[in-house]
Amino acid sequence: MLIPHPLLGLRDAQEFTYLGDAALMNRPDPDAPGAEAAFCDYVFLRDNPAGVHRELWYHEQGDRSWLVVTRNTLTHEILGAELASDVKAGAAQ
Amino acid sequence: MTRLTGGLIDRTRPLHFTFNGTGYKGFEGDTLASALLANGVRLMGRSFKYHRPRGVLAAGSEEPNALVSLRDGARAEPNTRATVAELYDGLSARSQNHVGPLHRDLLALNDLLSPFFAAGFYYKTFMWPKAFWEKLYEPAIRKAAGLGELSMLPDPDAYDRGFLQCDLLVIGGGAAGLVAALTAGRAGAQVVLADEDFRLGGRLLMESDLLDGAPASDWVESVRAELASLSNVRIMTRTTVFGVFDHGIYGAVERVADHLPVPGDKVRQTLWRITAKRAVLAAGATERHIPFADNDRPGILLAGALRAYANRWATLPVAKAGDAVAIFTNGDDGHRTARDLLAKGAKLLGVIDSRAGARALGDYRVFSGAQVTGSKGRLGLTQIEITEGGKVSWHEVGALGVAGGWNPNLHLASHHRGRPEWDASLLAFVPGQGGPQGLIPAGAAAGKGGTAQALADGARAAQAALAELALTAPQIALPEALDAPAAQEAFWHVPGKKRAWVDFQNDVTVKDIKLAHQENMRPVEHLKRWTTLGMATDQGKTSNVSALAVMAELTGNSIPETGTTIFRPPYTPVSLGVLGGGDSGPHFRPHRLTPTHGWAEAQGAEFVEVGPWMRAQYFPQKGETHWRQSVDREVLAVRAGVGLCDVTTLGKVDVQGADAREFLNRLYANMMGTLKVGMVRYGLMLREDGHAYDDGTCARLAEDHYVVTTTTANAGLVFQRMEFARQCLWPELDVQLISTTDAWAQIAVAGPKSRELLGRIVDDFDLSNEAFPFMACAPLTICGGLRARLFRISFSGELAYEIAVPARYGHALMERLMKQGADLGVTPYGTETLGVLRIEKGHAAGAELNGQTTAQMLGLGRMVSAKKDSIGAVMSRREGLAADRRRLVGLKSVTPQEQVAAGSHLFTEGAAQTMQTDQGWVTSSCWSPHLKSYIALAYLEDGDSRQGEIVIAANPLEGRELRAEVVSAHFVDPEGGRLRD
Amino acid sequence: MTDLFPVTALGDSAPRNARFGALTLSENAGLALASLALRKGQAAPAPFGLALPEVARAVTSGPHGAFWTGRGQWMIEAEGLAETDFAAALQGQAPGCAVTEQTDGWVAFEIASDTGAPLEALLARLVNIDPRTLGPGCCVRTGLEHMSVFVLRRSETRLAVIGMRSLAGSLWHALSQAARRLED
Repeated sequence: MLIPHPLLGLRDAQEFTYLGDAALMNRPDPDAPGAEAAFCDYVFLRDNPAGVHRELWYHEQGDRSWLVVTRNTLTHEILGAELASDVKAGAAQ
Repeated sequence: MTRLTGGLIDRTRPLHFTFNGTGYKGFEGDTLASALLANGVRLMGRSFKYHRPRGVLAAGSEEPNALVSLRDGARAEPNTRATVAELYDGLSARSQNHVGPLHRDLLALNDLLSPFFAAGFYYKTFMWPKAFWEKLYEPAIRKAAGLGELSMLPDPDAYDRGFLQCDLLVIGGGAAGLVAALTAGRAGAQVVLADEDFRLGGRLLMESDLLDGAPASDWVESVRAELASLSNVRIMTRTTVFGVFDHGIYGAVERVADHLPVPGDKVRQTLWRITAKRAVLAAGATERHIPFADNDRPGILLAGALRAYANRWATLPVAKAGDAVAIFTNGDDGHRTARDLLAKGAKLLGVIDSRAGARALGDYRVFSGAQVTGSKGRLGLTQIEITEGGKVSWHEVGALGVAGGWNPNLHLASHHRGRPEWDASLLAFVPGQGGPQGLIPAGAAAGKGGTAQALADGARAAQAALAELALTAPQIALPEALDAPAAQEAFWHVPGKKRAWVDFQNDVTVKDIKLAHQENMRPVEHLKRWTTLGMATDQGKTSNVSALAVMAELTGNSIPETGTTIFRPPYTPVSLGVLGGGDSGPHFRPHRLTPTHGWAEAQGAEFVEVGPWMRAQYFPQKGETHWRQSVDREVLAVRAGVGLCDVTTLGKVDVQGADAREFLNRLYANMMGTLKVGMVRYGLMLREDGHAYDDGTCARLAEDHYVVTTTTANAGLVFQRMEFARQCLWPELDVQLISTTDAWAQIAVAGPKSRELLGRIVDDFDLSNEAFPFMACAPLTICGGLRARLFRISFSGELAYEIAVPARYGHALMERLMKQGADLGVTPYGTETLGVLRIEKGHAAGAELNGQTTAQMLGLGRMVSAKKDSIGAVMSRREGLAADRRRLVGLKSVTPQEQVAAGSHLFTEGAAQTMQTDQGWVTSSCWSPHLKSYIALAYLEDGDSRQGEIVIAANPLEGRELRAEVVSAHFVDPEGGRLRD
Repeated sequence: MTDLFPVTALGDSAPRNARFGALTLSENAGLALASLALRKGQAAPAPFGLALPEVARAVTSGPHGAFWTGRGQWMIEAEGLAETDFAAALQGQAPGCAVTEQTDGWVAFEIASDTGAPLEALLARLVNIDPRTLGPGCCVRTGLEHMSVFVLRRSETRLAVIGMRSLAGSLWHALSQAARRLED
């Protein structure tokens, strides 16, 4: 596969390691009520869609950036890739 | 000899070769198959199951029958198709799958037993008794069935890998491929043209067609020359594109040296990973045959192959020159072969055409509405039976060409869920919807098999590809060509009671398909598995469609209703060596060497692989004959004096930034925010699920500058996780990270005399306990001005330091410490001693931090700060983990000389040993020279309150059990006074 | 001056050089390296007069050079200054930035040829990077035989491969073997 790195352009997926569901960026608030249940969800439960999926890839043999890649798990079509830090910073605003 | 005139062989370059020990002569340009046929050798092997005599069926990579072993000794390679083995001088080949000589195979007996080997025979026969499978059935089947044998010697050849990127990859260098490459080449696109043959031209080389009134090979040569002159075009012959992977990545194998007597310095084959924006699949088409009774004799070939042997290689597959040849066909293409053979001076019996009213296209006899219904010839064809209008007659022939129509080579187009579609006019599957993005089938691979058609289609495909890439494609002046007549009639097999082969390589007959139908194995997936049809190394290139047609006929459905046939990579077999694609032996994978590696080597150290690192394991001294002697000596030397160990392999991460403190506080389970500048703290990281992940130290070098260490094994993963936290969880923090693992040579200086030794190399630095206490760190200079970092940390439990210098000085520093410490008994030690020292001290390592353990179990429960959030903090407090009562303890063997094996499970004395009564397990164990006993670390239920109790360490794998006393995990200096003095 | 003697990344007392046909490989033991990362919100400095380059680019100015390693991160090079405290010098030029000593973290192999073609043929055996995207002034971090490396195209005819120092032996093996196989 080729990952469209937002800074570096198309790069071979062999340069990356895969983590999984981008929901892992949404770490629950540890001080909120019911934090343990929220963490349980966060740690153990993942969507595994047959279709479009937002997932985390790490450019290990590259610029060490974490990317949020939107990929169709059925066709492997890649619909987009963003720097995770931008996604997170954008969500915080 | 059965050489004809002409052909694309170089008669000025004779080549000598042997087959089954007999010497023969061929010419440059021959394949092994063509050269054998030219020498009158038709019998080339035995079939897989029935050991039937077999010769070549085809003239290309689809060959199912003529599999031979090439070369000798360690270079022997089984299952090479003789049709694609390029002849070289001195080639040696052997036939396969027979006992005794090829012409008198003892296992030909299997053919008489064929009723027992019908479809589903494996499933039906070897059901019981179960125990017989491994010992009896499987070895017997392996011996009797199967193909060539491996040499069992290491492969002496080198393989390579490479990467190419291009705008357009053209797969196949025939009519369509050449035009496509030329179109794109002239447009200035980056082009890779790959062809599996050793000569460009594809089918054009096999045909008698004229292009612009001249032999096609002239045009091929002119195109080749132009392409070769273009710097943006790379021509790769002997290169098979074997698979398509996501996003335009293609796998290809280039056979660099397979055509050379000895590869010499060259690599044998290269695995290419080609990233192409677009690709044109111009892989041509494969002819199919028409099954009839006894249709598998040497001398019965695909008609197109017969034509290829005559035109390109100037030979005929007859036993002797002058033998007649016949063609069996269901369409015009058979007549094309007949005309070519006549033009080559072959003696033609005639064309047996299944179509009523078929007419000759030249001066030869036609049996119209006729069929071939049988054959004779024990080791090669001598006669065929023709049935015409109910009349049966036998005819002497030396060879028979069978023309059943052409299947487009759509293999690669079916790789990504591409579904071939049935084309009723072509009577073949053509590439359909789906399939690899950016792959454009062209020419015969797209069902455009006429020469003029293919040329035009190649141009069309290239233009389509270039337009998508926003490149302007020039119009190529195509050579004048004609499309040969190609009318045909559906005729799939000759009905009859005798066996008619469909899949030659796996010995599947029409009868087998009938049986599968009868036994309700009708869906194509079931048919395939029940009969093994198409499951051989050729993936049924010449058989699948015919088999579908037979099944369709039986079920009364159409062929597309019956199913389709798709293909997996690789297109043709690929050797495992080239898939490895790189080094073997010591360079199989990269090795990381420590800065003192050369020094340790010179000391005669034994090394051990630790992840990617090579580390000194122990340093044998003169007279030591067992590793334990060395290790015991090293351990005692550290505890009594001073030892040196290269600990560079521990991961080091430089952490800077205004929020570095906060960042580390969130990363470590224990409190890191209170760490003062100039101090080091032990740190434990948890996984977010609450389990222990990794441990190490954290040193604060300045207000906003820390150095974190990780275990050797997790260095890369911890860095990745730190980047995850920085980028994905808390990008608002001002933190900068970079690994410095390799930058610093770090040497542990451990033992009661370590301070004294270090005092001899530091420049004006106060090492006293007051000035530089336990867990202090500082930058300093040593040996007259060399920058260094000093950390007072201890893994051994002794007074100890770790000193870091720029890596290129590691070697010299080790030498200097050895020299300066000679009178102190300074001793280098390796990973074994490191392990013993830490077990004696009760320090956790990989075996304790195995992903199943918690901070509580490690005895570090109180370290997990309740005052702050950190990764894993919330989940570490959940009931399931917090309630875990297992604790890290020490175990001392009651019989000191007996080892408590790591992995043993613990039980109370006298208890039944079951899952329910399991009390824990042993994580690490070693001989403690200090205690003169085997000791171990273990997790034990309520371990912190069971000191003094005797437990059973059971090792059911080896049927051993041992009594051991529960003690503190800190076997040495439990109060930790030595560290702090 | 310390009285300790350094060894090269390949463990020798002098840098290693070799010639394979059109290609020469040489270990650049004198190259000083330090990383530079911007603090949050910080403007890019111009250490040693270097205009810190854009994504995947490298610049030089006299003995100094800089190449992009990640967003807001560069590696700064200095020819022949490996024996100095280059990180300290860089910190002086880039106050407030995160600077980390990297000289000994890496081994640099310089590869030269009379023309560009042999360099590109060599690259095709080593890294999955389109040579068209790796012209003079470009750099890339990628995998080479399972090792993480920086590849810098210093000029049409010069290339640098910078890999982890502990992997120097494996990297030399990979480069020299590929170069040797291209010899004929």
